[in-house]
Amino acid sequence: MPLVNNKVGDDCTVGTDKALADGKALVDSLIKVVACYRQLASCVGGCTDSLQLRDELRQTREKAQMLAMSICSHLTSHLRNRSLPEGQRKEMELLWVAFSSSLELLHVDMCKVFYVAEIFALANTDALVKTGVQGGGSEMVARALSLPDLNQTQSPTLPAELESQERSTMEREISQIDRMIDDMEMKVNVLRWMVEPHGPQRADPLSSTDSSSLGLLSVDEEQPGPRPLCQRSQIFVLLLMSAVVLVSATLSICIVFFS
Amino acid sequence: MIRICLRKVDLPLSPAPSSRIFTSRLTTQGDGVILCVSERDSSLDMTIRNTLRDHGQRYRPRMACLRKAEKVLLEMQDPKTGVRSQPQRLVITTIPHAITGEDIIAWLEDRFQLDAQEARSLGCMLVALGYIYPLQDHKRLVIKPDASLYRCQTPYFWPTQQWPVEDTDYAIYLAKRNIRKKGLLELHEQEHYNRLHKWMNHKWDFIVMQAKEQYRAAKERKKPDRVVFDCQERAYWVVHRPPPGTVSAMDYGLDRLVDPNADEGKTPDFYERIMIFTQQAIMRPRVKSSVSISALVKHCSTYKSHDPFLAKCLPSNPWVTDDVTYWTLNMPNVEIPTKMRVERWTFSFKELLSDPRGRDDFRLFLKKEFSGENLAFWEGCEDLKWGQASTMREKAEHIYKTFLARGAPRWINIDGKTMEITVKGLKHPHRYVLDPAQTHIYMLMKKDSYGRYQKSPVFKETVKKAICPEEHQFSETQLGHNAKKRRPSLSPIILRQLEQEQKAKMAANVDITQLCRFTTPVSHLAVYSGLTDFPTADASPPLPFPPHTPSCPSPISVALESTSASERRAEAGEGEGEGPPGAQAPAAGNATTSRVALSLRRLLKRGCASASMFASWSPKCHSATGTGGRIQPIGPDRPGQAPPRRIGNFFQIKVDIPPECRIYPIESEDEDEDSRAVSRGGEGAKEIICPWESLTPQNGAG
Repeated sequence: MPLVNNKVGDDCTVGTDKALADGKALVDSLIKVVACYRQLASCVGGCTDSLQLRDELRQTREKAQMLAMSICSHLTSHLRNRSLPEGQRKEMELLWVAFSSSLELLHVDMCKVFYVAEIFALANTDALVKTGVQGGGSEMVARALSLPDLNQTQSPTLPAELESQERSTMEREISQIDRMIDDMEMKVNVLRWMVEPHGPQRADPLSSTDSSSLGLLSVDEEQPGPRPLCQRSQIFVLLLMSAVVLVSATLSICIVFFS
Repeated sequence: MIRICLRKVDLPLSPAPSSRIFTSRLTTQGDGVILCVSERDSSLDMTIRNTLRDHGQRYRPRMACLRKAEKVLLEMQDPKTGVRSQPQRLVITTIPHAITGEDIIAWLEDRFQLDAQEARSLGCMLVALGYIYPLQDHKRLVIKPDASLYRCQTPYFWPTQQWPVEDTDYAIYLAKRNIRKKGLLELHEQEHYNRLHKWMNHKWDFIVMQAKEQYRAAKERKKPDRVVFDCQERAYWVVHRPPPGTVSAMDYGLDRLVDPNADEGKTPDFYERIMIFTQQAIMRPRVKSSVSISALVKHCSTYKSHDPFLAKCLPSNPWVTDDVTYWTLNMPNVEIPTKMRVERWTFSFKELLSDPRGRDDFRLFLKKEFSGENLAFWEGCEDLKWGQASTMREKAEHIYKTFLARGAPRWINIDGKTMEITVKGLKHPHRYVLDPAQTHIYMLMKKDSYGRYQKSPVFKETVKKAICPEEHQFSETQLGHNAKKRRPSLSPIILRQLEQEQKAKMAANVDITQLCRFTTPVSHLAVYSGLTDFPTADASPPLPFPPHTPSCPSPISVALESTSASERRAEAGEGEGEGPPGAQAPAAGNATTSRVALSLRRLLKRGCASASMFASWSPKCHSATGTGGRIQPIGPDRPGQAPPRRIGNFFQIKVDIPPECRIYPIESEDEDEDSRAVSRGGEGAKEIICPWESLTPQNGAG
């Protein structure tokens, strides 16, 4: 795995270093947006499906496409530049791989949303699947668009005729992404088996506090029957032991007192 | 107009799953995504599907059940007529829209007018397909008719559209779980994780980053929603990546070459195909519907009680209860068959013959009636038909010598015309050369022996002894226990070996007691022992051959030595590959028998040497044949003795067949002058001449 020594001072490498950093930032944000889009997409067709959700989806999608187009042009131009030094090229290729994978994910999500939205027309709220979700997706949109707080009063009331327009927009965007993917493949030839990733080879666990609470919930869900009993029995044993300790302490005090 | 196949069931996405990473993009180039662009950009036509070169099977077959299950699920959502939902209480929070198993089953019973058992199966199917997931015991995708809770899956995770389930997504999911709590992955998940890490190494950075981002995005949601999403995702992956040992409902078999949802274009090829099809349909022979329907009705009424779908399968259906008693009771070589099985034998002769146990019984009956050669011939013909091409010639020869030739030890009675056709065909033997004779014998057995068999004491005895097992009554826990105890059955290799051993054993025990009308019943007459289907040479010849053995095989041993037949035998043996182990020795035997004629002629030309020389050579012969033993020798010492005995046979048969009665096919091939001279000299010879012997001296090499 070649080390990229960014400190080598050279005009062209400095320029490409910056380009690399830019590209990395863009790809990171695309990944973030794609993740948020997926979370939102999982709510479509469920009981929280509403015009607002569709609008949120649209906004996220537009942001993702903007990012995608800029990354595409950025990376394509750099990778077609034959005078790129080897280390930089490898980094660029890594970014390229990440970009194409996230684009594929986005494509799949968009298609799914398109199809599900077609089945679940919002006019008939009875048919929406009761999935148990209660909240909306506003926080995720905020995260995706990197805005501190999305203005909640800005609830779009799309009249019904615009839904079909929305659908055609979506179709167009899907095909655009498709074209982008194919163009990328035609213009830049990245050999995927030559790309070596760096970074942690296994996903390391993040902060433990969050995980434990979530773990507790999931543990609760799994077997609410036997599990609480186990926990209750553990608490019971603890109490018993503490009681025994207390009793022995008082007894020893008594012994000391009366002897 | 934008023509995008999204309105159909499937959207053919980049149709390659991530496991084919190296070719995914290339094939997308090759076959293209089936999206057309609008008219304005018609130059950028994306339907680049390259059907000429792309023979990959990438389309998932249509699963019609998915659309129907979706409709059922949508009906269940109706607030008025749907399933009643209740909130699920967890330690910290409550989550709405949980439904109990019994509610689901009751609703299904009501809606579709089913009984409880069927409603339960339907509910199980909905869970197994992934439309409803259990909240407790999430790994077992069954519906329990009690108060256990379920919830409906969000449409994003439905399998209806049959989005290909990508390995990338699975890798992200596993990475996410690893982030949440390291060591949480189960064994099979860890194996998947390691495998995906190896195969998707180039995008591993992306996967880890995406997993982290998804985790952080999920954290933005409120806790109950987060829990719900986690459950949904987990349920999705239990359906699509089931743990080992479970049966997956999404196991749909092979991918298809053609997209089942795509419209087929109206090209000239398409119309031509339709034309050919309709022409053939017109030319097909037709049957009156009354006739065909009555045949169907008759078949159904006969087999109604034997069909495991329609009637109870005693003791219990192994596919349902995981208890294999049914299979062990109905094994091919079982001693005591079940009553149902015996009843099937009375339906038709074909049933009797196709069941190995029935065939055994019939063979026993025929043995008592001294007409066992018919069945043996029939079995030999079947063996020829279904056997290997390399052994066909020897088999045909062998069958001819055993059953059809004049003076054959197990001569069968077929009419002259059929015999003529058969012998003519045997000049150039192929698989179906004995078909007319086989059919004749089959009809003979069917019309004659079958009827007598059904009235015979053998059959009556079998019927009396047949067992009727009792039905199993398994409780729920016992069923679960059975499911855990499932074991794979015996390997087919072992089964085949057992089968062959049994065949050999059986062949060894058969006595030929039918004599040809041309053979005078001499005491030392050849009794072919055990040459029904290629048996091994561990034949137990009941007749006293030994006195003749020292002198008789010696010319043969001369021949063997001179022509280094042991090598040939080894060749012949090896050339047969996986033929039955016994086949090698008889093939060797056949080789030697065919060499017999040749060597005999040579010997007659040279003149006999002294007996001492022969005697000295015979042990060599034995040792030579001894080395012909094969991989799984049934009787390693036996092969050495059988060929000489059989050879001795040919010298022993004193048949006074007038030379002109011998059946000689017209020899179209060149023969050496030796054989011609010898055959003329060998008129009234004692051995049974096979029509091919003089044709090709290399018979034994197969």
